[in-house]
Amino acid sequence: MEMGIEMRGKKPQADELRIGVFICDCGSNIAGHLDCPSVTEYASTLPGVVYAKENLYTCSEAGIGEIQKGIKEQKLNRVVVASCSPRTHQPLFQNSCAAAQLNPYLFEMVNIRDQCSWVHMQEREDATQKAKDLVRMGVSKAAFLEPQQDIEASLIPRVLVIGGGVAGLSAAGSLADMGLDVILVEKDAEAGGLLRRINRLAPHGEKASDRVLEMIETIKARPNATLYLGSRVEDVSGYIGNFEIAIRPDGGDAIREKVGCVVVATGAVPLKPEGLYGYDGTRVVTQMDLEERFLSGGMDAQRVVMIQCVGARCPEREYCSRICCRTAVKNARLIKEQNPEAHVHILYRDMQMYGTENEQMLWDARGEGVRFDVFSPDQPPVVKEDRVEFYRPLTGEMMEIPCDLVVLSTPLVPREDAQGLSQLLRVPVDQNGFFLEAHAKLRPLDFATDGIFVCGSARYPANVEEAVSQGLGASSRVATILFKDKLIISAIVAEIDPESCVGCMGCMEMCPYEAITYLPEKNICEVNTVLCKGCGCCAATCPSQSARLKGFKPEQLLAQIRAV
Amino acid sequence: MLDVGRHPNIDLMAYSEVEEVGGDGGDFKVTVRRKARYVEEDRCTGCGACKEKCPTVLPDAFNEGLGTRKAIYSWFAQGIPSTHTIDPAHCRQLNGKKCGICQKVCQAEAVNFDQKDRIVELDVGAIVVATGYKVFDPSQIPEYQYRQIPNVITAIEFERLLSASGPTSGHLHRPSDLLAEAEIEALEKDVKKSEKALDKFEQKYDQASAAFYDAYQKGEYEGDADRAKWAEKYASHRALVEPLEALKKEAEGFDVAKRLAFIQCVGSRDFRFYPFCSGFCCMHSIKEAIIANEHERETTSVIFGMDIRAVGKGFEEYKVRGGNQSGISYVRSRVAEITEGPHRNPVVTYEDTRERKVISRDFDLVILATACAPSEGVDRLAGTLGIELNRFGFFKTGTSQPLDTTRPGIFACGCAHSPMDIPESVAQASGAAARAAQIVAAANMRKAS
Amino acid sequence: MVNKDILVIGGGIAGIQASLDLAEMGIHVYLVESLPSIGGKMAQLDKTFPTNDCAI
Repeated sequence: MEMGIEMRGKKPQADELRIGVFICDCGSNIAGHLDCPSVTEYASTLPGVVYAKENLYTCSEAGIGEIQKGIKEQKLNRVVVASCSPRTHQPLFQNSCAAAQLNPYLFEMVNIRDQCSWVHMQEREDATQKAKDLVRMGVSKAAFLEPQQDIEASLIPRVLVIGGGVAGLSAAGSLADMGLDVILVEKDAEAGGLLRRINRLAPHGEKASDRVLEMIETIKARPNATLYLGSRVEDVSGYIGNFEIAIRPDGGDAIREKVGCVVVATGAVPLKPEGLYGYDGTRVVTQMDLEERFLSGGMDAQRVVMIQCVGARCPEREYCSRICCRTAVKNARLIKEQNPEAHVHILYRDMQMYGTENEQMLWDARGEGVRFDVFSPDQPPVVKEDRVEFYRPLTGEMMEIPCDLVVLSTPLVPREDAQGLSQLLRVPVDQNGFFLEAHAKLRPLDFATDGIFVCGSARYPANVEEAVSQGLGASSRVATILFKDKLIISAIVAEIDPESCVGCMGCMEMCPYEAITYLPEKNICEVNTVLCKGCGCCAATCPSQSARLKGFKPEQLLAQIRAV
Repeated sequence: MLDVGRHPNIDLMAYSEVEEVGGDGGDFKVTVRRKARYVEEDRCTGCGACKEKCPTVLPDAFNEGLGTRKAIYSWFAQGIPSTHTIDPAHCRQLNGKKCGICQKVCQAEAVNFDQKDRIVELDVGAIVVATGYKVFDPSQIPEYQYRQIPNVITAIEFERLLSASGPTSGHLHRPSDLLAEAEIEALEKDVKKSEKALDKFEQKYDQASAAFYDAYQKGEYEGDADRAKWAEKYASHRALVEPLEALKKEAEGFDVAKRLAFIQCVGSRDFRFYPFCSGFCCMHSIKEAIIANEHERETTSVIFGMDIRAVGKGFEEYKVRGGNQSGISYVRSRVAEITEGPHRNPVVTYEDTRERKVISRDFDLVILATACAPSEGVDRLAGTLGIELNRFGFFKTGTSQPLDTTRPGIFACGCAHSPMDIPESVAQASGAAARAAQIVAAANMRKAS
Repeated sequence: MVNKDILVIGGGIAGIQASLDLAEMGIHVYLVESLPSIGGKMAQLDKTFPTNDCAI
């Protein structure tokens, strides 16, 4: 069926092509379920194929030797291997071709194992026919393959860390200790973030200020770390290995620098529960207010009720802020430590004391006389002038707790400037406004955009130990890039033909990696080959076929489809 | 995993143990025992021809004993390295009996029964401990009757049942049903044998066994030793056939497990065993309930827990969605007792603390969310490495440097550090890598331009 | 003289991640795992929350 699309690119000359096809038995994985000799015989009859060979294990030394021998002796200028998934051995086969002086991008792999023999184990005849079809498709595409060159980019061994709280200090210190230059930018006049406002830390009770001062001194002592206080990052352009940044100190001139990577450690802020539970900042306060009272010596309440999940795990804010239960327990114990006669009552939905130390704190708190009571979210406690009333499901009664202080445990929420920073860096935030990592499980500190990382509460509420660990983690992620001499990027990237591009920006909107920019002076879009991951979304979207993915160009894919 | 196997900078030593560590941070001397697989790693291609022919069938630890493997086996199909291993405790050849079939069929000539353990000495600058955790054995809780009631299983066993590559291809067959089917299979084998023997008699005497037996019972053929044998054979045949028919009838009613109960904190938050919270089990129970419901829309799940700790990023939303869309209900309770009721259904007795009622309820399958315990041999490893354990039994780490153990140059991450979920393990692993890299960094640095 | 190699004990997800990070930094890593292959507990899982991606 004619696709009605003009075939661009060079049509292959039949007499120039010398395609070699290697069919793999893969032991019995393939040969056990389809007729490999027959497929090999068939391959040798295909247009452009001058050599077809069956191997027991193409990935073995013997198999690689056959490919290289074939390239040399048969003067092959295209190689097709029909075997397992490209995920297993494609790089091996490509490198083998390169070693035999054949451009590695003139190699095509056909999967006749995962996509054929393994899924049609009881259908030998049909599997054999399918393998022949797949090989024919691969050979047809191979005819249209073009040699490519890997892309190299330089790397500046300097890192920008945005945010001088615990996570940022941890990342910066670790990066400096790894010998990289670090620029740490903090918007406040002093570094330390939220920890400057906190009294003592769980689980061991050390002073937050001691902890944070220790980390700041570490940074100041490093000659390869520069700390900009009272400053904001105003501009970031460029890409991995080559970012250009502008730092604006309050009331000063912009400072321009070049860095190779960026770490976002801008943290989060506690929610002020306006309108919830009668919050007034004097008798009904937040945990953060309580911390400040401890620090100023103004904590003298005798009967305290703490309410958990205030403004969290609700329709407006569905997430659990995970550190507020631990904060409440920590503070409850401090109140008891200061005044063993004090009554402290924590009303909760679930006590989120996950892990070892947290759970231990919970038991210790119970041992110290802190009271805990569960409430149902559909029957929340009611704060009255001198008491808190709540329905206690465990005894089926309404309870009244007289109190002189109510402490509301509120979630950490994203900072107001997070949105602006996300746009500046062109990295995403999730539905709650926290920065969105590349993969929830396996890449928790990476952004999908190369060269930018996130750690601490900017990503999601984290306690001090977690923020420190994540800061260390982010520094490692940076090092995997900046310890290299240069960045080598696969040649399989997109390119946009400037002649035919109309500047509709459809590709830009599709690109998950922020790899495409619009050039207004020319009214066209352009691909940054360093950021491009070769996913092909732009090529699939472009209405004028100006965006094309190398190695997967329309003529190559159409050849494959027509061969079916 | 594939990246690890292929990376030029990674020397992967699987099926190996660290035996000794000397020296100090920056300069450790480590002795590693590379255990004999009896298969040459540089020849084995993982094709699997050997295990097809191996005559020895054993329970499969990867599938938590729910499936089988052979004496020559791969840990799991996609394992890296794909090198197969011979289990020296059960291999016939290695235990003096005649076999060696695997060696005969191996086209790569990789089987080597003479292979020995190898000792390797390594010089390293730093050590990262990432030894994970051990699944708590719930047979230590007698009131849950984990060993006695087949339809009470652990979460990891449930994962294997749910898995499309697992022993039941993802069908939630009840273990009691699997046992019954195995019994049916065994009985059918025996019945076949017994039929063959009866056939012989029937041919010889040209008479149907049933008719003969009637006559025999009435007293005919007295004194006939041969016919007495026949009668005996027939009697034992009936003794097989009758229970077989009964079991087969019962099996007709077998269905996949649809009414699930998940019991949280099995071994965790328990002063008898581990007082701490294992951090991820509430979530994996919710996940398992959601997946089970995806497999079979009629599945309902009750999750019994004290606190339901869905604290990670996206977890609370996942939990709520599970409740709304996947037939999950949450009961605030610590289960007191599990007994077995009719149809081998486990019966859960508990106090619903919100309703203030004590209830006994039967389910098709009970899944125990077992504790994340310090891994097997953690004491020995701590001794070998010269590092301390904390009061919870995990590797003790610092306060200001949370990934540093008590010995400079040795770092801990993941569940070896403390119970945690995958993103935290990954983040900590990168963190430990950073700490380790700092020790060797000088050799790998460039000056900034 | 500081040795440039690093030993990672344990081939589960944490050990794998640590090894890959170090290897990408250009550091030579020995990864020691007691089981016949790497993957740890995660390889035994069916899918992982909250994305329900396959664990392998």
